[in-house]
Amino acid sequence: MGRIAVGLLALLLALAGSLPPTGQAQERPLVVALGAEPRSLLAMHIVDWTTNVQQMNIYDRLYFWDGMPPRIKPSLAAELPQTPDDLTWIVKLRPNVRFHNGDPLTAEDVKSTIEWLLDPRNQSHYRPRFSFVDSVEVVDPLTVRIKTKEPAPILRFWLVDFTVHNAKYIRQVGNEQANRQPIGAGPYRFVRWDRDERLVLEANPTYWNGAPAIRRVEFRFIPDFSARLAALLAGEADIVKDVPPVAVDQVNRSGIAEVRGVASSRINYVALVNLKPGPMQDRRVRQALNYAVNVDEIIANLFKGRATRIPGALSALNQDVNPNLKPYPYDPQRAVQLIKEAGYDPTRLEFTLDSPSGRYPLDKEAAEAIAAYLGRIGIKVRVVVNEWGTHLDKIINRRTGEMFYLGWGPALEAQGTIAELFRPERTYSGFGTPALTQEINKVLPVVDPEKRRRAWYRIQVMLYTEAPWIFLWQQHDLYGVNKRVNWRPHPAEKIFLHDASWARR
Amino acid sequence: MASPAAPRPMLQFVIRRLLEAAVVVFLALTAVFSLQFLAGDPVKLFLPTDTTPKQIEEFRQRLGLNDPWPVQYVRFMRGALRGDFGRSLRQGEPALDLVLERFPATLALSGVAMALALAIAIPVGVLSAARRNSWFDHLSIGATVLGQAIPGFWLGLMLIYVFAVWLKVLPTGGRGTWAHYVLPSITLAAFVAARFARLTRSTMLDVLGQDYVRTARAKGLGPRRVLYRHALKNASLPIVTLLALQLGQLLGGAVITETIFAWPGVGRFLVQALLNRDFPVVLVGVFLTAVTYSVLNLLADLAYAWLNPRVRYA
Repeated sequence: MGRIAVGLLALLLALAGSLPPTGQAQERPLVVALGAEPRSLLAMHIVDWTTNVQQMNIYDRLYFWDGMPPRIKPSLAAELPQTPDDLTWIVKLRPNVRFHNGDPLTAEDVKSTIEWLLDPRNQSHYRPRFSFVDSVEVVDPLTVRIKTKEPAPILRFWLVDFTVHNAKYIRQVGNEQANRQPIGAGPYRFVRWDRDERLVLEANPTYWNGAPAIRRVEFRFIPDFSARLAALLAGEADIVKDVPPVAVDQVNRSGIAEVRGVASSRINYVALVNLKPGPMQDRRVRQALNYAVNVDEIIANLFKGRATRIPGALSALNQDVNPNLKPYPYDPQRAVQLIKEAGYDPTRLEFTLDSPSGRYPLDKEAAEAIAAYLGRIGIKVRVVVNEWGTHLDKIINRRTGEMFYLGWGPALEAQGTIAELFRPERTYSGFGTPALTQEINKVLPVVDPEKRRRAWYRIQVMLYTEAPWIFLWQQHDLYGVNKRVNWRPHPAEKIFLHDASWARR
Repeated sequence: MASPAAPRPMLQFVIRRLLEAAVVVFLALTAVFSLQFLAGDPVKLFLPTDTTPKQIEEFRQRLGLNDPWPVQYVRFMRGALRGDFGRSLRQGEPALDLVLERFPATLALSGVAMALALAIAIPVGVLSAARRNSWFDHLSIGATVLGQAIPGFWLGLMLIYVFAVWLKVLPTGGRGTWAHYVLPSITLAAFVAARFARLTRSTMLDVLGQDYVRTARAKGLGPRRVLYRHALKNASLPIVTLLALQLGQLLGGAVITETIFAWPGVGRFLVQALLNRDFPVVLVGVFLTAVTYSVLNLLADLAYAWLNPRVRYA
């Protein structure tokens, strides 16, 4: 028996020894470790961060958010869209862009992509976003004219990260095959997709913006966070998102990788649900909750400074942010006073706060800290920690308590946050008032940028006063990055690998 | 497998067991199908926030989720009979294909882990029994208690940190070379081997006390021959039963091991589907698990009958 055990051990060691050593530079692909595989590799099919972050490298996009603070820049497009009138949008394309199979990328492809996503049979998540499109015309091979049924200034933002599929190819092979063997015009060509294992891409030498510096890229799907971190520390993974603040030192001390952080455009908030009868319907109660929580202290102690406070519903990265708002100060006495003015006794108030766990940085811990601050002025808050699917389900089907914790982003312009969250039929905030709805509906068709901005400013002041949330912070995205990789994280959570290169040692 | 003298009872036995298996599968599917109505509305979970109620209705209509549940049930069962379980809500691809695609990975890992477990556990169990109360026996009993007590996720992570992060001799996870099998199969085998070793030891102790073993020894057969040829063959009956159960469990997907080692298998996929309320995929998973268990149980019974003629066709 002893011999068998020794033999087995020897066999295992021999197998281990026959491996190519890990951590060798140059020939190894750049590995991005993600928690899941893409839900689809068809362009403009599914709205999902993991999916989009991978697709973008294959397809490229018409426009993208660039710089800090982020502004819209053309990518596959040649210039920012023109709007000769409120209903017409003209997108000019960059000349001489080719798909990976050699087909030229033309206006026809953009038209076909929009028509594809509008076709209900394709079940595209993007269909609602483009429902106001009336027609798409090819003006010339590099010019598309989009007509909308009503003025739709939001189109400017929906064209950002708009990935373009190859019309001829998708028509030839159909959705299923195009999903398994996608052909785009992006910096990386599709090589292989091993289900639940990896997506392998190789550099597109004829990319319009120059061949990428890194020749081979792998997205590897590692569902367990500890295992992703281990892969980073073993030098197997080069980029890992969402390093928990407690693991930052471990990564930085590893000698292999380091944590690179960025203040994300994703904001975290505690929604105060005013759509059900109860004290939350009183503005003073909601304001009081903002006064009662010491957000700065939570950021300093719990997050060790790795979060950036937001005064209202938009972050400083948002191009429509009203810069005049100042965060609610910590003032528990004022809080008590407001609640009393509203006719309630704070020590008799009881709320339920639903929180996810591990979806956002320190979400559960932050929810507990908030509950503790409210406890100090006598409000009893029961924190219910949900598994993510359940949390989302509760929010969507309006089964949360009076308060729930959520993140929202990337949030770089006002409409995507305010119109999505503060109209009563939308569930991700659980808040609405007739006056607010009216104001929001008024600004949506306003095309003139200056008028539009002023309207958003006004609405932000209304929101500040209405206090539909306990306004919290921009989360900081902490990426673990192998030191041999030059790459900086992006506030819009993009991992566009044309921006990456190997560090010279 | 059936002895030529009595093919008919054997055939009847197999047919009866297959029918029983079909009933089990049917009941399992019915149970899970009913349970899904207790969970929240899955459709909204898969659509982006700006989807209008009208469009959500359209999605539901297209997926047939607006029909009364008896209609959905009949449609589902009809589809299942043809091997059509509908499409994954999350990925839009046929649910059965998505699960089957991941089956080979699970099969391979289970096979290696099981072989490893048996290769260690049976000799250990036999020797423990043969040298009862020796230092080896005590050591192996200690080891098996440990093997059963250590949680898989902890062992897995420790192995990763020691062999992949610290020593850098093995990969942290994923699939590709033989080296990728080492850590996950040890993690899986640790628990399984412990159970087998304990079972082998106790049944061997039982068998070794019986008359025919003494007879064999009295005949002057070598101890090795007595142990492995005479005693182990009779001790193997409960081991075969346990084998079927354990294999069934492994093939259903070693969820934790597959998750920690990023192994692209069935278990990890099904758990994700469950968390995401992707019911068509969950139903496929239940179907396959029920089928696997039933088939393995049948095989175990057949093997049992083959090993022990006394229980044949009983």
